[in-house]
Amino acid sequence: MALITVRFYSLWRSYLGTDSTTLQADDIQDALTQLEDRFGYQLREKLKTAGVHLDGKIQDYSLILLNGITLRNLKSTALKEEDVLHIFPPAIGG
Amino acid sequence: MESKTADKDVRQWVTESAESQAAPDGRTFLIISLKTTASISKSQDVPAKEVEITALKQGIVPCRYLRNIGTIGLDGQIKLLQSTVAVVGVGGLGGTVIELLARQGIGHLIIIDNDRFVEQNLNRQVMSTEGNLRKYKVTAAAKRVKEINSATTVSTFRQRLTRDNAEKLLGSARVVVDGLDNLSSRLVVERACRQLAIPYVHASIGGFNGQLMTIFPGDVGLSSLYGSSSDTVPEQGIETRIGNPPATVAMIAALQVQEVVKIITGVGAPIRNQILLVDARECTIDRIELGR
Repeated sequence: MALITVRFYSLWRSYLGTDSTTLQADDIQDALTQLEDRFGYQLREKLKTAGVHLDGKIQDYSLILLNGITLRNLKSTALKEEDVLHIFPPAIGG
Repeated sequence: MESKTADKDVRQWVTESAESQAAPDGRTFLIISLKTTASISKSQDVPAKEVEITALKQGIVPCRYLRNIGTIGLDGQIKLLQSTVAVVGVGGLGGTVIELLARQGIGHLIIIDNDRFVEQNLNRQVMSTEGNLRKYKVTAAAKRVKEINSATTVSTFRQRLTRDNAEKLLGSARVVVDGLDNLSSRLVVERACRQLAIPYVHASIGGFNGQLMTIFPGDVGLSSLYGSSSDTVPEQGIETRIGNPPATVAMIAALQVQEVVKIITGVGAPIRNQILLVDARECTIDRIELGR
């Protein structure tokens, strides 16, 4: 079990009304489950109010980095003390 | 011998034509006007860019760059005029980047886009007007650059950048700038820039938010955000739901141009191995260190 920091950016920061939180988690999956429980409903409701209907969990429509590395490239899903998860929506336009 | 004689003549003309002008802080600069530059260019049959470089090397500032010099110095302006920058995509980001690079005094621009303007471009694409809808974007961009800065030369390519043509289109660039609107094309450009050892200034936007990172060969890049497998790359972002407003485009494009200026002049440090996240709604700027 590790105490980690989760930092929100961009629209997620606006919609969740905070730029960070902390949580105790065993591994990435545990952290994502806790995040979904704590923030998933609030985020989708805010998005809905803005006319954006997204299905799925936060992790399905967010870019998530652990200490600056996308979860897709992680070699291990274990967490250690003071790890930081960065979460924000992909913005791909130009 | 002919070119040395021509150089000497240009230098003489420039020196004899220089005028004194006071800057707002009271310092006095020797300047050369746009009209004089054009006149020497024509009479000596040398490009306006070469007249400007010759002037700067003698400490004489082309008047049009007078407000650049305090930031980047005479040497910085010379480096910009001697440089080629490629802009891939003439949409929101790309159009504003081109506009600013021309005003900054980049010597040569390579502009690549196969698309034409449509009405939904008018909100943010500065090269689009009601009068040029359905016209090719590269044509409008080249015309605009010529109107802004006659010293900046332009090569346009009305085609999509691919793995096959990347070397031919980008090979002479000092820096490549991202003016694209999708990830798959960005990955092609990033790969090409790595192979050609050219810095790539990536940016993208959605809603009030934008992101930027400069990727040198050997730096971490887009895979740090989106993964190494093309299967996992999202085709669309939040901008398809919350839009691409004009001020966000201008804000992020301006930062891209600052990156180009920093890379070429050596003034300041580019955003490398980090993603810069700019949030105009919350008025915040964050940097995240990226790993592999």
